[in-house]
Amino acid sequence: MLKRSEIKVLVLTGDGINCEQETALAFKELGVDAQIIHIEDLIIKKELLKSAHILALPGGFSFGDEIGSGQILALKLKYSLGNEINEFIESKKLIIGICNGFQALVRMGLLPKPFENRVLTLTHNDQGHFINRWVDLEVPDSVCAWTTDLKGEKLILPIRHGEGRIVFKGNQVEQENCYHNLCEQRQVAMTYADNVNGSYQNIAGLCDPSGLIFGLMQHPEAAISMWQYPSGKDKSYEKGLGILIFESGLKYCENNL
Amino acid sequence: MSNTYRFEIYPNDSQLNNISASESSTKKWLKDYMGLTITNLWEIRFFLIESRNKIINIHEKVEEVLTDNVTECLLSSESENLLDVHSWLQKKGFKNPFLIERYFRPGVTDNSAHATHDALKLIPDLKNEDFTVSSGLMYFIEGIDLTHELIVNLAYEKFANLLLHRIDITRPEQLYLNNRFVSINLPKVQMTSSPVELINFNQNDDELLKMNSKNCWALSLSELHQIKDYFNSFKRDPTDVEVEILAQTWSEHCKHKIFAAGINYSEEKLPQGVKALGSFKVDGLFKTFIRGSTLKIKEDRKLPWLISIFHDNAGIVRFDDKLDICIKVETHNSPSALDPYGGALTGILGVNRDIYGVGLGAKPIANTNVFCLAESKYFKSHNLALPLLLKNPDRIKEGVHLGVQDGGNKSGIPTVNGAFVFDRDFVGKPLVFCGTIGVIPQIENNDVTCNKGQKVGDYIVMAGGRIGKDGIHGATFSSMELLDGVPASVVQIGDPITQKRLGDFLIEARIKGLFTSVTDNGAGGLSSSVGEMAQITGGAEIDLEKALVKYPGLSPYELMISESQERMTFSVNPHFVEEFLSLAKSRHVEASIIGSFTNSSKLIVRFEQKIVAELSLNFLHEALLPMKLSAHFDMSKKSTHWINKKIQKLVLPKGDYKKILFDLFMSSNIKSQEHLIRRYDHEVQGATIVKPFTGSKEVGFNAPSDAGVVWMKPHGGGEKNALAIACGIAPKISEYDSYLMAEYALDEAVRNAVSTGANPDEMVLVDNFCWPDPLPSERNPDAHLKLAHLVRASKAIHDLSLAYRMPFVSGKDSMKNDFIGAMDNGEQVKISVPPTLLITAMGRIPNLNMITTSEIKNTDSLVYLIGDDLKASTSAFELALLYDDYKIERPLQYINGKKQLDLYRSLHKSMREGLVESSHDISDGGLLIALAESMMGTMLGLDLSLDNIKDLKENQLNGLFFNEGTGRFVVTVNKLNQKEFEENLSGHIFTMLGKTDISGDLKISFQDKVILNVHGKDCLAHYRIEAKEMDRC
Repeated sequence: MLKRSEIKVLVLTGDGINCEQETALAFKELGVDAQIIHIEDLIIKKELLKSAHILALPGGFSFGDEIGSGQILALKLKYSLGNEINEFIESKKLIIGICNGFQALVRMGLLPKPFENRVLTLTHNDQGHFINRWVDLEVPDSVCAWTTDLKGEKLILPIRHGEGRIVFKGNQVEQENCYHNLCEQRQVAMTYADNVNGSYQNIAGLCDPSGLIFGLMQHPEAAISMWQYPSGKDKSYEKGLGILIFESGLKYCENNL
Repeated sequence: MSNTYRFEIYPNDSQLNNISASESSTKKWLKDYMGLTITNLWEIRFFLIESRNKIINIHEKVEEVLTDNVTECLLSSESENLLDVHSWLQKKGFKNPFLIERYFRPGVTDNSAHATHDALKLIPDLKNEDFTVSSGLMYFIEGIDLTHELIVNLAYEKFANLLLHRIDITRPEQLYLNNRFVSINLPKVQMTSSPVELINFNQNDDELLKMNSKNCWALSLSELHQIKDYFNSFKRDPTDVEVEILAQTWSEHCKHKIFAAGINYSEEKLPQGVKALGSFKVDGLFKTFIRGSTLKIKEDRKLPWLISIFHDNAGIVRFDDKLDICIKVETHNSPSALDPYGGALTGILGVNRDIYGVGLGAKPIANTNVFCLAESKYFKSHNLALPLLLKNPDRIKEGVHLGVQDGGNKSGIPTVNGAFVFDRDFVGKPLVFCGTIGVIPQIENNDVTCNKGQKVGDYIVMAGGRIGKDGIHGATFSSMELLDGVPASVVQIGDPITQKRLGDFLIEARIKGLFTSVTDNGAGGLSSSVGEMAQITGGAEIDLEKALVKYPGLSPYELMISESQERMTFSVNPHFVEEFLSLAKSRHVEASIIGSFTNSSKLIVRFEQKIVAELSLNFLHEALLPMKLSAHFDMSKKSTHWINKKIQKLVLPKGDYKKILFDLFMSSNIKSQEHLIRRYDHEVQGATIVKPFTGSKEVGFNAPSDAGVVWMKPHGGGEKNALAIACGIAPKISEYDSYLMAEYALDEAVRNAVSTGANPDEMVLVDNFCWPDPLPSERNPDAHLKLAHLVRASKAIHDLSLAYRMPFVSGKDSMKNDFIGAMDNGEQVKISVPPTLLITAMGRIPNLNMITTSEIKNTDSLVYLIGDDLKASTSAFELALLYDDYKIERPLQYINGKKQLDLYRSLHKSMREGLVESSHDISDGGLLIALAESMMGTMLGLDLSLDNIKDLKENQLNGLFFNEGTGRFVVTVNKLNQKEFEENLSGHIFTMLGKTDISGDLKISFQDKVILNVHGKDCLAHYRIEAKEMDRC
């Protein structure tokens, strides 16, 4: 059993990642030590991953989103930290990828299932462009460790992406099979209440079969205080629901690591 | 290098039948703007690679890097069956398509290629290979009656910019040959450096002026004489490097000569109701009116929070207990006219660098942007031809919007506030204003951060991007009118990822205390950045060959003045230089020591050990003599407009207020631009409290906010502290009086900030003037009048800022916003922008509880009009734009500044006390628009009566509803707070109009008759006439 103050979070930065400060702030608000670390420094000090419990890949435009969102970051992580990340996963620690971080996890092949062939991708929104708006979300029953405090909730969070549409590999039947597989394994962790970008069955967030690796397109770190909410009437010094994602992750660490 | 490869990325089998949104919108574009029916269009990305050695299995390696195997597949010059593409084309329904390929021209920034190069280098087998990459786009296209000529036209109209791209077209019958996979040519820069030349200045005036225009120096005759005399005193000719340095440093862009000039102002035949200023002499508009008012305010108010104003790259104020706040707003008009995307992108990245370059380097936390543009539909619906070579205004709009979108989003800086302004006279030169707010800890490493600390002996280190031919003569070019045939080198594309790395590195190095000073390389390149930094130590020496270059062949003068982007110049103590350079290396930021700071009183430039420039700093910075100009204000002499045709406008539907309201909601300056604004990330960094649109979860977030509000806590500042950022701009009023225009702009910015909860006693201003050329010349016969407008606008913000007691902390001017070209009949035409002033206001919200948004929040609340009801004036400027039979009448409504400030303070007091539920400023379109807008967020209703408006007559309703003025708001207040709220406002004009209710209707009664009843949904539908396109998915 870990005490909250003992939980170590690594928040990745560098190469165009740009949500590292607010992602770290979300963890810090909950009383944990979140260290922002540049990828290059982590490559030199790989052992930091051994002592960490949570690895967070924040949002941003890594490598300018050229070629494909998250693609080059994924290659970089795979070739420079691949073994260490695999070890991290095998030791049942937590990974969260938000927006560009989700895209990188998918491109690395860690979602929806690590160490297997890729079956899905995140590609251009149906609208064909970037979009920033708050959307309604639902939290279905899933194995995800990052949404335990939110199960069954309806909430709003901001999306800020141009490539957030989930597409499965193969023909229609293969795609349906993939999706049913995910549902059966209870890996669909969050869905949009409406069709906001053309994502398959409105999938907004996915976890791996263990529930420990979580990727989501929406930004919970931008909804940790009610001041950040978009409606004037909601604004107050209360906490926002986005913080419960981080809280859920920390609770897992406290209870399991 | 001799091994070349070509790679094309296609959707795989399962994705083949999808048509992308960009393909559909391109088809629609070509139909709407060129009348072409495109039946099939397919956009494909391609990459070219050239390598020193043959790379084994390159197809597989590139496939891993460039394709997403879930949705894509790769076809390459190494593929076995190139005919695959033809079967795919068939499956997509193509019969005989043309192929358009778009390559970059040599030397143009190719971000995709850079990223691909970096990515390929991550593959272990490729780490040691030497190769270059180039990227491009190709379009298979077929349609009805497409000819080769039409294809060329549409390619340059929609897909490419002649200055940046090369187009190759393959005719349908040649497509099967697949020639593009055989002859593969990457764009290469091929130049040879020209040696340093001595320039003979001992020539007659005609010859000097000829040299001047041939070399793009943009110097005046008297400046040419000064240079001649200076070098004659040393008995030598100047080198080309020296003249170029002087031309850049002395450019209008860098030295603001018009704002520094001595001006004789006079006026005559002022119509009644236009403010008379009398005749006077002003010794520098900037010194007298802008810095003048600010210094006076600073002294009178003994302001402790004005930390650094006017002299650094941005203004610095202390609106937080821990942080200092910096603000700067820039324009990038001429580059945006030539290449809208690149111009706007480099504009936003450029102003970000001003923030990185202020004090010891601040972190950007918010962007603003304001566009002044024209709309294609105006010219189309009135059957007006545009001059040759002018870009379609809608394409300019698309381009500048995408540039700001990419620049802000990819840098992780939220765009929190801005505006779109439309006028036909922005068709020649669009105005692109980009602003940035930044933060810096007040104290770091036991030192204040607001001062620059370069010392004699510090190294000069250039870091970030490399130098290329791009952006040469940008500073002098922006000081010239836009003429056909400008050199392509002034156009450049920004590289957000290089800048993001540079910015991240800069902040990290600052925290570690690795440098003593920093500034950005903007206009004038090294000549300006080093030249300016050298003033503090009293000298500098540089060795130009040490600067990193994009390609060989640059001449010394080009190295010195190139404005290649994403570069900062640092001063680094030799003791820390190793650590500085090694941190840079580990962050993939290129840096090189190019010289050192001295106290020789000289700027010395060497190239390969030989001195190529030696200039006294005093001559460089202090020798310039102020110009003497005269300004004359005579409104009876109307300058002829380039459109000489009578424009048919609508007829005012008198008494049908609903119709007028809807007409207004759909008009250019009022309709929602949400579909464009939502493509900017406005809340990255997690600190944007008030966003561009507001509303409720149930109804949606589609109603406009008055200002952006940024929370300081996520940036390391006060837990409860925030800043409001707002803007004001009113070029439509310049034709009546630019003094009034400037008042409107300033008041609108302040009013928007106050409306959101900012304290008027903790507020600063930034001015940005964009003017038509006010210097007399043969081509510019009415320069005296344009200069008079400038004097009046400057005087107005002087007077009003003094009355509001709000200092200016930064500002900029752009003085040559004219286009000169020809119509297709050969007739010369000149299009000048209307005199335009943007004011940006930044105010402190000392406690988040004071934040007030514009949407109505509760039923049964009281609704107030704060400020004058304006029923008796005729100042509905938007109606004058819409309707033929509506004319503005004098007297114009000038502001009583002192009284206005008092009102703002009173309203703020109520916000401080939590008495105000919602507040929305009354701006373009007047009262009715503001009322409707404040309902649209929540769809609650307004049940209003006009009986509280004293002596209101029926023929004044139009004025009451649509007149525009300053200092007015619509606010709602809980009725339990009525007494306290009204007491706070005692002595000011305000009217209680009625109550909010659940109905969703805006219902207005007058003398017991309902004269308007309209549902918020209908208002919203008209307001979102264009924005609704974002709803489809």
